[in-house]
Amino acid sequence: MISLSMRKRFTSVRTYLLVALLLMFVGFPLYWMLMSSLKNSSDIVRLPPVWWPLPTWEHYDELFSVTKFGRWFLNSLIVCSMSTVIAVFLGVIGAYSLVRLKVPGKEVLARSVLLAYMFPGVLLVIPLVLVFSHLGLINSQFGLSLAYLTFALPFVMWVMRDFFGSVPVDLEEAAMIDGASRLEALRDVVIPQAYPGIIATSIFAFLFAWNEYLFSAILVRDHDLMTLPPAMANFASAMDTRWGLVMAASTVATLPMAMAFAFLQKYLVTGIGAGGVKG
Amino acid sequence: MASVKFDKLRKVYGKDVVAVAGLDFEIPDGLFVSLVGPSGCGKSTALRMIAGLEEPTSGRLIFGDQDVTDREPRNRDIAMVFQSYALYPHMTVSENLQYGLKKRGVSSEERSISVKRIAHMLHIETFLDRKPRQLSGGQRQRVALGRALIRDPEVFLLDEPLSNLDAKLRVHMRAELATLHQRLRKTMIYVTHDQLEAMTLSDRIVVMNHGVVQQIGSPAEIYNSPSNRFVAEFMGTPSMNMIPCTLKQENGEPRLIAKNLSIPLSKQVASLASRTEVALGVRSEDFEIGAPGIVGGVDARVLVAELTGAEKYIYLELADAKVIARAPADSPICAGDNVSLSFKPHQMHVFDGRGDEAAALRAA
Repeated sequence: MISLSMRKRFTSVRTYLLVALLLMFVGFPLYWMLMSSLKNSSDIVRLPPVWWPLPTWEHYDELFSVTKFGRWFLNSLIVCSMSTVIAVFLGVIGAYSLVRLKVPGKEVLARSVLLAYMFPGVLLVIPLVLVFSHLGLINSQFGLSLAYLTFALPFVMWVMRDFFGSVPVDLEEAAMIDGASRLEALRDVVIPQAYPGIIATSIFAFLFAWNEYLFSAILVRDHDLMTLPPAMANFASAMDTRWGLVMAASTVATLPMAMAFAFLQKYLVTGIGAGGVKG
Repeated sequence: MASVKFDKLRKVYGKDVVAVAGLDFEIPDGLFVSLVGPSGCGKSTALRMIAGLEEPTSGRLIFGDQDVTDREPRNRDIAMVFQSYALYPHMTVSENLQYGLKKRGVSSEERSISVKRIAHMLHIETFLDRKPRQLSGGQRQRVALGRALIRDPEVFLLDEPLSNLDAKLRVHMRAELATLHQRLRKTMIYVTHDQLEAMTLSDRIVVMNHGVVQQIGSPAEIYNSPSNRFVAEFMGTPSMNMIPCTLKQENGEPRLIAKNLSIPLSKQVASLASRTEVALGVRSEDFEIGAPGIVGGVDARVLVAELTGAEKYIYLELADAKVIARAPADSPICAGDNVSLSFKPHQMHVFDGRGDEAAALRAA
């Protein structure tokens, strides 16, 4: 007969093993990316592979001195920040309206915000190119950030709708009786309750935009205005792929999101949890 | 100072769900008035309409001489204490208290003076820097009251503010509320389903059912002279005993007849009845219990004797109805005993029919 404490210990050992396996599965590509970026070009393709190389910064040097990586990085930051700020601002107000205001057919409206997700991006990009070329928004960072709203805004609205639904209506009613207008009640009382959700959705909206390739490749043709994904795709060609450069660029491109996840992890867990339970 | 006047105020949800079916009465300035009734009777909807949180379907709402029907909640000069307290979780107690003043442009110095005054009045000085989650239920309740009091509004609205407290604290806070009202003499409108709270706190009680006002009166009027069977049964613990009877003439005298019961009724009261199927209402304290066979008494069998501490509730079977009578705590009566019940003649209530809406028959 196995005692209860033995059984508990066995369960916790099994849990740790499973977590370790999962971490290896998730972490190995990151490890390989980082190591490859620090290898010289011949070590990158050597067999058997070099697991722990003598680090070299040659790919990073080339990345920042030969290519326009810094410019593209900044472009990505500008476009993603703009689209995230607009998506969160409009999404928060839209989601709040769908939850609290008496809008006829608001359930249908709420569900229809997800329509954009039902079509492949390539279907949306053709009408977008037509509309944007009429409006002079091709080759424009503002235009690209507007295009990103097609997926960021529905996402923010959908998740924030659940968050606002979970904030007790008494709180904003108390604020309105205390002298606040509805918008002031939203700003002073409701939004502070929904910070975890706003932070989580902001990170994901930023991440979607940061990783987006298709819209950026089609809507921005000017080399100086490109964002990272299409710019980095140029490192690979039919004749040659600069793996060292690709890996160094990927490592630097991963940093902002990795840092955001690390610092805002607490809010992220609460955010995803709360949204998930309510949904 | 403001009275609150309901002028045919009505609220209908959708096409035909009538929450409040036309309130038409006035609450004089400075009174403590309770809206009382079972869940879904429309009392909270009525309060929310006063607060401006719910738009009336029709009718007007008048504070003093001002029509406030279309005013935003913030422009009504009201304060409300919610059942859930609705304290802002991200603000400290002090910030919670100050929020309303801040919104009204009160300077920071005046705000801190007001916070000190209210904190002293409600004994919450020691936790002004705490967040609501760090407070007990009673402390939160005080802060919620403080947030309402600090603005010195014309009308206070209280939506079941004691229902989340334990029994002991509820009694304590009830007394504090009564003291506060006596000190401030402001119009207070209190919503509760607890008729005991309504009875102990109020100057006037408004009893509601199905969105309709059943009776308005002082606690004593409501208790002693209920206007219909619903009010009679809703107000009072235990609720008023109802014995189905038939109104008959015997030897030219009207009598209430049930199984082994025959009670004379005044001609004046009997003449008011519109039907012969009536209900006799007797409060538990208006029975007198004696030994079986007493002259003028009715034999009844004790089903259960329940000691509540200060007294005993005696459950009896009387004329096919189950009734509850009160007896002193040291009464020897116990289950299975046969007793004789007699009625205090001036404390009997006769209802014209057997439904909730059956009106009380009362001689002028």
